[in-house]
Amino acid sequence: MDPAEQQYWLDQVAYLVDELDPVPAGLVERAQFAVAIEDIDAEVELEAALWLDQRSLVGVRGGGPGTITFFVGDLTVMVNVTRTGECHRIDGWLVPAGEHGVEVRVADHETSSTTADEGGRFVLTEVPRGTTQILIRMNGGRPRTVVTPTVVL
Amino acid sequence: MTELHTVGTNPPWEGLAGSERYAACMIAARDGDKRALDVLIAELTPLVWHVARGTGLDHGTAEDVVQSVWLALLRHLERLSEPRALAGWLITTTRREANRVRQRMAAQTELLPEYAEQLPSGDPLPETLMLRGERDDKLWAAFRKLPERCQMLLRLTVLAGRAEYREVAAALGMPHGSIGPTRGRCLKSLRGLYEDGDGAR
Repeated sequence: MDPAEQQYWLDQVAYLVDELDPVPAGLVERAQFAVAIEDIDAEVELEAALWLDQRSLVGVRGGGPGTITFFVGDLTVMVNVTRTGECHRIDGWLVPAGEHGVEVRVADHETSSTTADEGGRFVLTEVPRGTTQILIRMNGGRPRTVVTPTVVL
Repeated sequence: MTELHTVGTNPPWEGLAGSERYAACMIAARDGDKRALDVLIAELTPLVWHVARGTGLDHGTAEDVVQSVWLALLRHLERLSEPRALAGWLITTTRREANRVRQRMAAQTELLPEYAEQLPSGDPLPETLMLRGERDDKLWAAFRKLPERCQMLLRLTVLAGRAEYREVAAALGMPHGSIGPTRGRCLKSLRGLYEDGDGAR
């Protein structure tokens, strides 16, 4: 391939990078929100959880209700989101169970928080809609905070 | 979305570019300046995104990995000994995080077989791409057929050629403006796959 042709194909890759597969709209803002966590204790390990099964999430990401699951290490968190008027009700279940602190951060709103019961269940009502991140502050044993990526609920 | 911090002086990274700018941001972020972290996220997310996508992750998972990488930076602010090497650290961390995600997804799907049933069997992931026409489809299809190593190298070559990512070139040992034999072969493969077109292999 001569240099001109190399440049042509490199330009095609540049087009692909910029136009066909650009950074998704709002990702920068969501990432900025995700790291703007208050009360981060340097002594407490911070772990980023993952949403399980991206494909079933499409509806949730699009703002509809549904069940979502996220996990990190041995911890699995199932969350059921129900629309209640302008807000959401969030029913969650931590496995393994533990009386851990649960916080739901929504951009431009107060953080909602609660504590899971001994069976690992928690409920938060009147959670505002918007860019949302869930934090689980795990007590007992090695203290750690699990944070989820933000999603638009 | 972030709080407005009003500080009497100009931010220390103002007027700086490239690795100097990122190093100034890192130092300010360590001192608790949240704007500094926001600047890094705004300016370097394209790099993290294209590395994540270059590993072959689907759109949604790549979005999550981008956020995990920035959370990892938050955790490592104090420990990252060389703030000038940020781009290199981001590339390495994104690749590692992408691999971890793949392993964890696979393990979790095994643990919870009911989730596996929901997955479409072997179909390509629905991509939310900005494909505008046949030519775009063809280019994208050809690119995705390249070995992952080539996809990553070509994406990074494009970014490294830009002023704001000059340090990416350094991190990868790419002399500026050079294509090199491996990149040349990747471009040639891309041309070949594009010309075959129409799903032919």
